[in-house]
Amino acid sequence: MKNKLNIIWICLLIFMVSCKHKENEYHSIIDKIEDLSKDYKSVSLSSETYIETLNKVEVIENWQRFYIPERKSQIKSYECNECHSKPLSELQNEKSIKKSHWDISLKHANQETMNCVTCHSENNMDKLHSITNKPIDFNLSHKLCSQCHQKQYKDWAGGAHSKQIGGWAPPRVSQTCVGCHDPHKPHFNKRWPARYNSQMADERN
Amino acid sequence: MKKEIKKWFSLNLGINNQDHKECSGSGCSHNSVEKTEDGISQVFDVNMNRRQAFKKLTAGLAIGAGAVSTSCSLFSGDKSKEKSEIEWEEYFKGNYKLMTEEEKSKTVDRLIRSYELRNGTKINISSQDAEENVLFGYAFNISKCQGYMDCINACVEENNQDRASQMQYIRIHEMNDGKGLNFGEADDTYYHEVPAAGHFYLGTQCMHCDNPPCVEVCPVQATWKEKDGIVVIDYDWCIGCRYCMAACPYDGRRFNWSTPKISEQEVNKDQHYLGNRLRKKGVMEKCTFCIQRSRSGKNPACVEACPTGARIFGNLLDPKSEIRWVLENKKVFRLKEDLGTEPKFWYFMD
Repeated sequence: MKNKLNIIWICLLIFMVSCKHKENEYHSIIDKIEDLSKDYKSVSLSSETYIETLNKVEVIENWQRFYIPERKSQIKSYECNECHSKPLSELQNEKSIKKSHWDISLKHANQETMNCVTCHSENNMDKLHSITNKPIDFNLSHKLCSQCHQKQYKDWAGGAHSKQIGGWAPPRVSQTCVGCHDPHKPHFNKRWPARYNSQMADERN
Repeated sequence: MKKEIKKWFSLNLGINNQDHKECSGSGCSHNSVEKTEDGISQVFDVNMNRRQAFKKLTAGLAIGAGAVSTSCSLFSGDKSKEKSEIEWEEYFKGNYKLMTEEEKSKTVDRLIRSYELRNGTKINISSQDAEENVLFGYAFNISKCQGYMDCINACVEENNQDRASQMQYIRIHEMNDGKGLNFGEADDTYYHEVPAAGHFYLGTQCMHCDNPPCVEVCPVQATWKEKDGIVVIDYDWCIGCRYCMAACPYDGRRFNWSTPKISEQEVNKDQHYLGNRLRKKGVMEKCTFCIQRSRSGKNPACVEACPTGARIFGNLLDPKSEIRWVLENKKVFRLKEDLGTEPKFWYFMD
């Protein structure tokens, strides 16, 4: 009886020892990643050359430090105050001036929640402003978006909701909110797929 | 200076296009001679039955006969002689996995020259090795993908896939809402405005498994996992048996039923030996995470082309990388995890 028990114990022990994958010493890829990255320092590759010509702004968001593209130089009619020299109400009533921004219509939330001055400052068109009326620079417009879209903001700062510019190798440059979404019409449009796989469709039918 | 010792007989047709590099300084090695695993030993030191031997002989003879006829001909020019020399050397070269750095660069040079002789234009083929401290991983956001298929176009252009047969590494599956990940009912040949109501989109391609079943079944070791986790194919060593295609649980591998044709202007000339260099008829190919791009720090073409940012690529060993943030902060899953293939391709939702 005792002999039998011993054998069972030994068998159990062998079973417990030999449960690892045969091809390597790790149970899973996550174990492997964690182990191999324990004393990670850096890689010799860099995406610096791919982003040389890009104007960048360094930000620290949600404890992540990275670059975003500079925005102000990309806005055609910046600085706004060059035209917006008078208060908005005066400009709107002046008949002699041609209408501008006619092509912008706001399709972002509804009128109860948002209108132009939710983000743009009536008194200083060169800046945006937060809900509590603190000025926000055009280069850092993500601060404005993050007021409502906290979940997206955190994903963006982490890297789950931010398209990389340049490459995977450091330094990290991420697209900012307005790089992909039109702030006045943030929804992605329906469109036709880029291609039709006729060959595959033929084969399947 | 020692004369270069090679593992196979060189066909010398009288033109000296291959000046051996003289060893300079202390970098000169005498050890390379001792390596016997490569080249001709791989071809000839194998157990072979009569039938296989005949096969090899006929194939060898065909090339040999071609070479001899060009060498004896008074009319064929230097170019065609050089072509046959290249063909000869290429035929007897070894498995890329076992090549020394020098052999790698030589085969790459031959391929570049061969392309130049045939098409008159220069291409760039790299034999860059895996970087230290790099393990590539991929994440796909199924709530972001809208089914635009821009990734597929970018992939085809980048990787020189056959246009006629519409060879594609990526499949975008249009899934029905509420039915889970049901590939049986999914459609990957849709053509209507997307995103279509009641559907979501999921992309598949080679998942670069950490325990790849395709590598295990290859009878000639023409496919293997590189140090940075990319599963690659030596197109010149592949015999086209398609075992790997059958072994892959993710439909990641493609076979060239015919000679791939790409018009000269459309050929992406920035190539890698293990990546997008031009393939031939009867060999396997698949996604290589755009090895020619990723090994120089860029993102794969699909990642760069995605207009919705659904595709995330990066170094799994860098704790500060975005891919690591996704793995640690999002609820990720992989396809057929229970198979133990350990794909390095994760899916997640917003």
